[in-house]
Amino acid sequence: MQLTLNAKGQNASVMSYLLAKNPNNIYERKQKGHYVRLFYSRFSEEETEVTIFVTPDPIELTKNSSSTYDITHYINDREFAVSSIFCSFIRTALGTALNGQPADEYKKWVDEPFDFQVDFGPIASSLSDKTLYKLFTPIGFDVLIVEGEANYQFELKKRSTARFVTLTGKTTLQRVLRQLFVLIPVIDDYKHYYIDEKEIEKLERYGEGWLDDHPLKEMILKQSLRFEEVYMLIDQPVKDKHKAEEPVKKRLNDMRYEKIIETIENLLKKETIVDLGSGEGKLSVRLGFIEGVKQILAAEPSQIATKKALERFEKAAKKESFLMPERIWSSLFYYDERLVGKDVMILCEVIEHIDYERLPKIMDTIFSEYKPESLIITTPNAEYNQVYELGDSYRHTDHRFELDRKQFQEWCAERSQDYPYSFTFEGIGEKHETLGAPTQLCLFTRKEERV
Amino acid sequence: MNISFPVGCIALLIGPSGSGKTTLLSNWIEKGSIKSSEKVSSDDFRVLVGDTEYIDYNNRPKAESDGLFNEYQKISQAAFKLLDQTVEARARLNKVTIVDATNLYSDDRRRYIEMASRQHVPIIAIVLDIKEDTLISRDSVRKDPRGKKRIKQQYSTFNREKRFLKNEGYTRVYYMKEEDQQNISITREQNKLTLNVAAGLDIIGDIHGCYDEMMQLLEKLDYKQNEEGYYVHEEGRKLLSIGDVMSRGPKSLVTMEFWLRHIQAGYAYMIDSNHGWKIARWLDGRKVTLSHGDEKVEEEFNAYAEEKGTEAAEKLKAELKNLLLYAPSHYALQQNGVNVAVCTHAGIKDHYIGKSSKRISDFCRYGDTDGVDEKGKPIRKDWFIHHHSSELIIWGHDPKPKPLIVGNTINIDQGAVFGGELTALRFPERQFLSIEAQHDYSGTDQNPLIEWKKKRFAPPNISKYINGYTVSPEHIKEIMVGSEYVKPAIDDVSHFTIPIEQLVYIPPTMTPPPAASSLENYLEHPREAIQYYRKHGVQRMIAEKKHMGSRAILHIFKNADAGKLAFGYPSLGVIYSRAGRRFFNKEAENMILTQLSEELQPYFEKYETDYVLLDAEIMPWNLKAKELISKQYAHVAEHAILDRKMLLSQLKKAEHPETKIWLEQYEQKLENAQTFQNVFQKYCWDLHDLAEISIAPFHVLAHSSGEFFDQSHEWHMQQNQELAQLSNLFTVTEYKIIDDEQSEVEAISWWESMTEDGHEGIVLKPEYFMVKEKGKLLQPAIKVRGQKYLHIIYGIDYLEPANLKRLKERNTNKKQRNALKEFALSMESVKRFIAGESIERVHECVLASLALEAEQIDPRL
Repeated sequence: MQLTLNAKGQNASVMSYLLAKNPNNIYERKQKGHYVRLFYSRFSEEETEVTIFVTPDPIELTKNSSSTYDITHYINDREFAVSSIFCSFIRTALGTALNGQPADEYKKWVDEPFDFQVDFGPIASSLSDKTLYKLFTPIGFDVLIVEGEANYQFELKKRSTARFVTLTGKTTLQRVLRQLFVLIPVIDDYKHYYIDEKEIEKLERYGEGWLDDHPLKEMILKQSLRFEEVYMLIDQPVKDKHKAEEPVKKRLNDMRYEKIIETIENLLKKETIVDLGSGEGKLSVRLGFIEGVKQILAAEPSQIATKKALERFEKAAKKESFLMPERIWSSLFYYDERLVGKDVMILCEVIEHIDYERLPKIMDTIFSEYKPESLIITTPNAEYNQVYELGDSYRHTDHRFELDRKQFQEWCAERSQDYPYSFTFEGIGEKHETLGAPTQLCLFTRKEERV
Repeated sequence: MNISFPVGCIALLIGPSGSGKTTLLSNWIEKGSIKSSEKVSSDDFRVLVGDTEYIDYNNRPKAESDGLFNEYQKISQAAFKLLDQTVEARARLNKVTIVDATNLYSDDRRRYIEMASRQHVPIIAIVLDIKEDTLISRDSVRKDPRGKKRIKQQYSTFNREKRFLKNEGYTRVYYMKEEDQQNISITREQNKLTLNVAAGLDIIGDIHGCYDEMMQLLEKLDYKQNEEGYYVHEEGRKLLSIGDVMSRGPKSLVTMEFWLRHIQAGYAYMIDSNHGWKIARWLDGRKVTLSHGDEKVEEEFNAYAEEKGTEAAEKLKAELKNLLLYAPSHYALQQNGVNVAVCTHAGIKDHYIGKSSKRISDFCRYGDTDGVDEKGKPIRKDWFIHHHSSELIIWGHDPKPKPLIVGNTINIDQGAVFGGELTALRFPERQFLSIEAQHDYSGTDQNPLIEWKKKRFAPPNISKYINGYTVSPEHIKEIMVGSEYVKPAIDDVSHFTIPIEQLVYIPPTMTPPPAASSLENYLEHPREAIQYYRKHGVQRMIAEKKHMGSRAILHIFKNADAGKLAFGYPSLGVIYSRAGRRFFNKEAENMILTQLSEELQPYFEKYETDYVLLDAEIMPWNLKAKELISKQYAHVAEHAILDRKMLLSQLKKAEHPETKIWLEQYEQKLENAQTFQNVFQKYCWDLHDLAEISIAPFHVLAHSSGEFFDQSHEWHMQQNQELAQLSNLFTVTEYKIIDDEQSEVEAISWWESMTEDGHEGIVLKPEYFMVKEKGKLLQPAIKVRGQKYLHIIYGIDYLEPANLKRLKERNTNKKQRNALKEFALSMESVKRFIAGESIERVHECVLASLALEAEQIDPRL
């Protein structure tokens, strides 16, 4: 991680005063085992070139990281890429220049523009070259991007993911440094420190005089304040591009939940309900408002999903007539005596996430061991994918299969043939003339009394 | 008069002071009838704790007398406390103990009676009934006379208590008068529960009237009919029935008669059992309901009476009654006087071995039961998981499709009467022989074998695991699996792994050398690994080249039917990763399995196996890891090189002398980055076709006939060569043997040159797959990775002295511990799988391994 500043022009040598770094010496400071180093590679009246770089301690750098027990964490671009870590390392060394506070006799040079060439990198960024141009061109730079080498003995990647940036333009030292201190963390894919309100102050201070007019201001702010809560603190009209697609998807989800709830409401026995594979608890939480329900078991083996579900339940708990779902650590691939003999079991958008050949066993366990009075299964209708113009692909990357209506009906018949269940089918969502509804639902009803 | 001491009995001497107890015992000890250690005397314990046998507190002023009495009481209390502990300890160890104390009060005696019951040993009473005059005159001449008053008091107590003794619960009560004391002979009862293995025993599982199968089995065991009609073995081996020879099946009577005659003639033995006991009581005329196939025995007796007459039937009944009523609860099999095994019908607890009591008999007959289930069948508790003593326990009663080995126990009831097999276990050879039953004779729809098979593939019960559990694999002590690790493991199994029934083996993790290299520029070196094995007594080792690809388990079936037997549905097998995930996509997997199954046909034929289970490495690395290589290793390499090159070009322009040091530093750093970039490319090549992958199996874990955990690694390597000859997909692994200094030097220089070339390194293993030292497992393998390779593990600049110094402080203890646990678990799961055990039992081990992998351990180790 390095930054080279080259200033040309009359009196370019004042750079050393603006930086408060003696051109006859090298600069080296140790910070937690990492070396911050600075040296001059050119120094004359007309041209000053100074390079500041960090030689990190790789062992120190990987300590206390949240991903300590992940092997890839030890092989990390943080040692090399310019990032917010780099900025915080060099901030002290460049303090005088950043703040524009040289010795009094040089203060007049602070606002003096020079012909600058600024080289920094490498950058680890998902931003395209084009976006990088768009970041620096509006603030007066020509941009040159050099890629690293990616010649491998086997087919691996076409282009290197390491890039080096060269900016040229007439500007002041303070201004370019401030711009870099804002934009380097924007470019970088990670952020190393916890973002809080101070970050906003920094943006306001360093962004003064250029950020407000920057065409990519919104993107810069968003990238800088990556945690949504902090972003919300600033006074900005929020426009989310992704929102456009959401309503369609949400409507189907809601319609699905509504249909399931309606189906349950019409059932005779609905005191005890099991939401199998309850995930983040979106359905379970709605079940909590059905009248006459005395127990809801939200069965799910995933830790992360469960956390979200619990938060959701807590929020809902404040509302009236809500029955708190009981979250149980369960899995469809095991037998769980807690699930035996319930009134309603639901597999809402679950089966398509399970390898097809693992399903018969699960269904046998439900029908022969758990024996619910009713079982509701919903799953996508593969035919409807034509409407979405999905081609051959499934609706979700984790879907292991998707069934058309005939396949699903046959599957339901086959799975329940040895057990005393009758079943009916329904569609959920806007129905297409020939392709049916986007989601299909099967309601199984037990024909015999349970022993 | 003869006194007979049962095995392990407590014998209470009962008689007032001066009745001659101590004298009697001294005589017996002198004559050698009893051991001096078998006598425990209250007087001795008084001396032991209080330095005196007796304190005379009479004829003193009251205060002194009270003081002395008090002192004597305290001593006596302490003495009896120790004495009781001694008696109980001896009883626990099944040793005869004769209690030399007056035992005049029923409260005192009751203590010993309860003790005997607690320890499952018999208790007898020896009553010394001496006239009062004699007692008084004897007392007057002894060293510390107790005084006339006291003797009289004791005598009257004795006289009162004497008549209650009969009913206090002794196995026997002996009464002796003064005149008897000279003419007493002592006999010691033999332990009827011990049986000398002698020329060998053939232990037969539950026969249940399957006479024809039994005769076939005897033939297979080489028993031949002699002139007198007995089936005998020419080497003098004998038969031992584990019980339940009758009921349920077609020919109970002739089977019982066979055993009766052979036992009478000394050619066979039989132990008690639940059906045997039921029939015994029925024959004894007690009121019992004959059911569960016992009614068939009655029918056979009726037919017998009709055919041969009532008299003959009654005679046979009487003989069988005696046989069954007195059949020992179990046998402790001895070799050279040492217990080596136990035969019991349904179960036993370790502290029951060699002892008799009603409770023990019940336990041996019915096992550990815990109420009944909804169908009225007893719920069986797994007593065998609590068996820790050294004897091998051989049992039946609970039909399993194959002999079930759990810990140090073997179940040999393979449900012949239910259409299963009749099993014989040859002891001490531990060899199984079996005959398939011709029919399911039981006529019941509750066939335990069918239920077992049905249940075998049933999903495991989550409640057994979810809150944490323990698993007891062979070769290691119990492994506790914490709930916090089980949950993510179950999450994994629910979302990502192959189906539970296919997940039969998770390869154990492998530790690097326990100590960092003593050489300056190395983190790991073979020397420390070799030292580890030498230190633990392993002289012969094998160094196998470590391939750098992705670990894979290949389970390849002979055909889809063989897959059905193993998984419950047709399958040609499965290929999965260390983490239990499918290695290839379905289509590719299917192609590879189809090819391999076909190519390995000669192998399946030759070894008569349904499948082969292989532990292997599949190459190239980029086959599975392309994304990781691209996003992580290549990405980082490009950054490092770009960063360092750019900086070097700046440093070269600088004139300050101190930047020279930085320049040199960065020239080295650039070289490090280039080494890093070169090293991972070594393990990658372009794949145009699946045929270009390379599979290097290094362990042939199992065939359907058994596992190979007792084989040497050279054997495994030979098997791999055989596999490589059959399929181009397989590649052999280079290896070297280390068994002396010369070969050690060669192996090390081999390692040096291959790792210099960028290869990952070697895996050092002891000669045999599983090696123990003083009963404890040693590391099954140690990986020694090369200096260059470790760049991709520890980072581009890990060799810089300041970095290496810190990295050498790494601690491998936890890694080593987990490696051993996972090793034991992996062997156990494979064994259970081969034995056809329920997937719940297999999964218990697999899930534990996955849970161990969820523990936080430095992944660089």
